Amino acid sequence: MKLSTKGRYGLRAMVDLAVYSTGEQVPLYSIAERQNISTTYLEQVFSVLRKSGLVKSVKGAQGGYMLVEKPERITVGAVLRVLEGDLAIIDEPAQDSNKSSGSVKSCLKIHVWDKMNAHMNCLVDSLTLEDLVDEYRKINSMNAPMYYI
Amino acid sequence: MIKIKISTRGRYGLEAILDLAIHVSEGPVNLKSISERQGISDKYLEQLFIALKRDKIVDSIRGAQGGYILSKDPGDISVKDVLDVLEGPLAPVDCIIEDKENQCDRFEGCVTKVLWKKLMDELNSITESVTIGDLVVCFKDSNKEKEIEYFI
Repeated sequence: MKLSTKGRYGLRAMVDLAVYSTGEQVPLYSIAERQNISTTYLEQVFSVLRKSGLVKSVKGAQGGYMLVEKPERITVGAVLRVLEGDLAIIDEPAQDSNKSSGSVKSCLKIHVWDKMNAHMNCLVDSLTLEDLVDEYRKINSMNAPMYYI
Repeated sequence: MIKIKISTRGRYGLEAILDLAIHVSEGPVNLKSISERQGISDKYLEQLFIALKRDKIVDSIRGAQGGYILSKDPGDISVKDVLDVLEGPLAPVDCIIEDKENQCDRFEGCVTKVLWKKLMDELNSITESVTIGDLVVCFKDSNKEKEIEYFI
């Protein structure tokens, strides 16, 4: 059970964008630098994010990407689904030969797989980029040196 | 493409353990009969049961009437116990497993690990709360009545 790098890096990049895009576009190389992800890889990820309408690009020398909506309106679930596909804990068999309600498979589905799917989807849909931005600020204010003037 | 997955190893393993728990009242269960009922190859089941025996989920009984039995009461075996043997931890990313070797150098400042940790904890609490015994009850009830009612 692993998330792909696309999902992990993509989500990190979206949080970075939400932190640093204060009404302006952010160039990918600056996200790449801060997050230590290659620019080429980010280009691929952002092309997917742009097509799905989560970010928009601004062209030109000062170009870059910005969020289409406010971070509090973008759920983690929406970002992950764009990058990873449907979030399901098991691959449903294309044709379930054993569909009867009394089967071993249906008991596992009802009591285990469906519950896990519901919780996972509920969790990622209840969290927004803003929540992760808050977390980011909290962590970074703890780590940042204090300046006294 | 979709990577938050329980593999067939965990799925088939759970199906097999549940099948074993249902039929073990009639004596040790051989893998061939599980294989026939569940449509899983017996070669594959052999691999899974080596791991399940090693981690003391099942015991093997030798002899003509031999086969496998559960090493504990089905109510004392959680879904998590079985998945731990066959899948390892349900971690969407390695760094949150309690093992310092998996930590990346960005661990301290990482925002998303909080989310993954939360997800792992939630999934673990679900798999911990359901036992093989619960699943046997589900199976027996639905075969008795063929109409299932749920009381929450």
